[in-house]
Amino acid sequence: MERTVAGSVAQGARPPLKQVRRLSDGVRALLFLAPAVAFLLVFVYIPAGVSLGLGFFHYKLTGIDTTFAGLYNFKAALTYPIFWQAFRNTLYYAVLMIPTTLVGAVLIALLLYRDRRIFSMIRTVVLLPYITPVIATSIGWLWMFDPQYGILNAVLTALHLPVSQWLLSPQMAMPSVAFYSLWHGIGFDVVIVLSALAGVPRSVLEAAAIDGATGWQKFWKVTFPLLSPVIFFLAIVTTLATLQAFSQVYALSSGTGGPEFATMTILLLMYLTAFQYFHFSYAAAMAIILVVMILILTLVQGALSRRWVFYQ
Amino acid sequence: MSTERLAQVELQAGQDAGAKGRNRRRRPGSWSVGEVLRALVAIVVGLAFLFPLYIALVTSLDTKAHVFTFPPHLTPDWNFINYIRMWHMGRWLMYFGNTTFITLTTILIALITSILAAYALSFLHFRRRELVFVLLLVVLMVPGEALLIPNYVILHMMHLLNTRWAQILPYGGSVFGIFLLRQQFLAMPDSYREAARMDGASHLRFLWSVAIPLTLPTIFTIGLYIFIGSWNSFQWPLIVTVTHNVQPIEVEVSRLQMAHSVDWRRLTAAGFMATSPLVVLFLILQRHIIRGIGRNEGVNM
Repeated sequence: MERTVAGSVAQGARPPLKQVRRLSDGVRALLFLAPAVAFLLVFVYIPAGVSLGLGFFHYKLTGIDTTFAGLYNFKAALTYPIFWQAFRNTLYYAVLMIPTTLVGAVLIALLLYRDRRIFSMIRTVVLLPYITPVIATSIGWLWMFDPQYGILNAVLTALHLPVSQWLLSPQMAMPSVAFYSLWHGIGFDVVIVLSALAGVPRSVLEAAAIDGATGWQKFWKVTFPLLSPVIFFLAIVTTLATLQAFSQVYALSSGTGGPEFATMTILLLMYLTAFQYFHFSYAAAMAIILVVMILILTLVQGALSRRWVFYQ
Repeated sequence: MSTERLAQVELQAGQDAGAKGRNRRRRPGSWSVGEVLRALVAIVVGLAFLFPLYIALVTSLDTKAHVFTFPPHLTPDWNFINYIRMWHMGRWLMYFGNTTFITLTTILIALITSILAAYALSFLHFRRRELVFVLLLVVLMVPGEALLIPNYVILHMMHLLNTRWAQILPYGGSVFGIFLLRQQFLAMPDSYREAARMDGASHLRFLWSVAIPLTLPTIFTIGLYIFIGSWNSFQWPLIVTVTHNVQPIEVEVSRLQMAHSVDWRRLTAAGFMATSPLVVLFLILQRHIIRGIGRNEGVNM
């Protein structure tokens, strides 16, 4: 006992002080983290947990009817024909968007990958739609798609091609929405591919050229493998973005998902179910199905990626 | 939500950072035939991307006689009557005011919470620091659409539905911002903090006079992304608001579009009023935006 007292006296006041500081470092960290964590707790962690549960109840905003529903809402969604139509439409939209975005972005990036002012100016132009508000720029497209007076049919007429009803035709409505989305979003992918192209070592391409590789061979044997991780990344990001598309579908179908439910996506159906008809639990069940769908598609892409993605 | 997408890009960009600078830029020489052809194709592509904005501009400036003609009219009449009529049709100042207030407040709150949290995660030493960071990163994996309904219910319980705050608070914590700033703070030499501590500077003092000034470009980039995402947001305001006096421009433009479905001249004028602030911002800050997305200065302006 004497020793410990003597020891602490001999050490002077330093150890306790240090301890005080370490303690207050933890408290300080708590204070610094608290604002961000509070927001995330209330608007992300808790809702994420709640959303899983909500689908299993008959929830109403008034809070009276919160009886357990089991799988009732899921069964209701899965036996609702319009839900299946929305499911097919969502997949169709993804199938239209993902390959065209990736191929288009790589082609445009290869075209623009030159060290001249004109090419970087065009890169800026291609990216411009990406930062514009969707609802506002949809108006110009609604006008272009107008079957009677719109520019698209005018061009088709001038070329002696058959005209289309575009957004008013059940067959062409979804491709028309995809057309808009491609215009709006592809600049983002182009900029990413351009930056990845800048990472392809010129020496490797020159070595390939010396070995007599053609431009085509150089692309598939050198550039593409080196770009593949970035293309894979863009495939995942584009999948997420297309399955979550809302504003453009809403604007181009005037919030209806029409004509004849041709542009009804799961997210739009979920929005209408929850916030027009106030069937919260039913809509929450749809949200869970959509999240599972996203998860499965991402996992499938991850599994497929082993066949074509090349990591250095 | 574009910030989510950008957050994922930043994660990727971290991995690509090593690729930068491996290539030496080649000096552009004289124009060969192939290069001229390439430039021509590129110009056609560029014009195709500009065209939808151009035709909307032309229509918004047209006289009535020119709109419903076939083939469509392709040169502007410089007739501003549609803008004047559109301006008098709605309370535009109020909608601009709402959007501006929502955007700036979101940026302010998200930046403050992110800076503080990132500081704790890089300069303060406490147990389970890495675990806390990983738990925060989990947020990036939560799909936004799963949160729409529960967040609506939560705002209902807080009696905040149909307010401007309902459009701000859900974005008050930005994991994307925390992630980026933490990276910057960790890259800062320990000697800075040590020197400040020797001089008796408190953590807040050090944060304010050293850490923040040194990471201003990153703070600016985060603010810019939040700006674009918040200014353009539509789905969430559509869900949580009903009265006009708390709604942003995008919701008003959507309502106008549904109410006047073929009055293309006024509608395109409305579209342009909502789009132009972002186009101006983009043209001023394009370098910053492109560098932010690509994290690369290989092919430069």
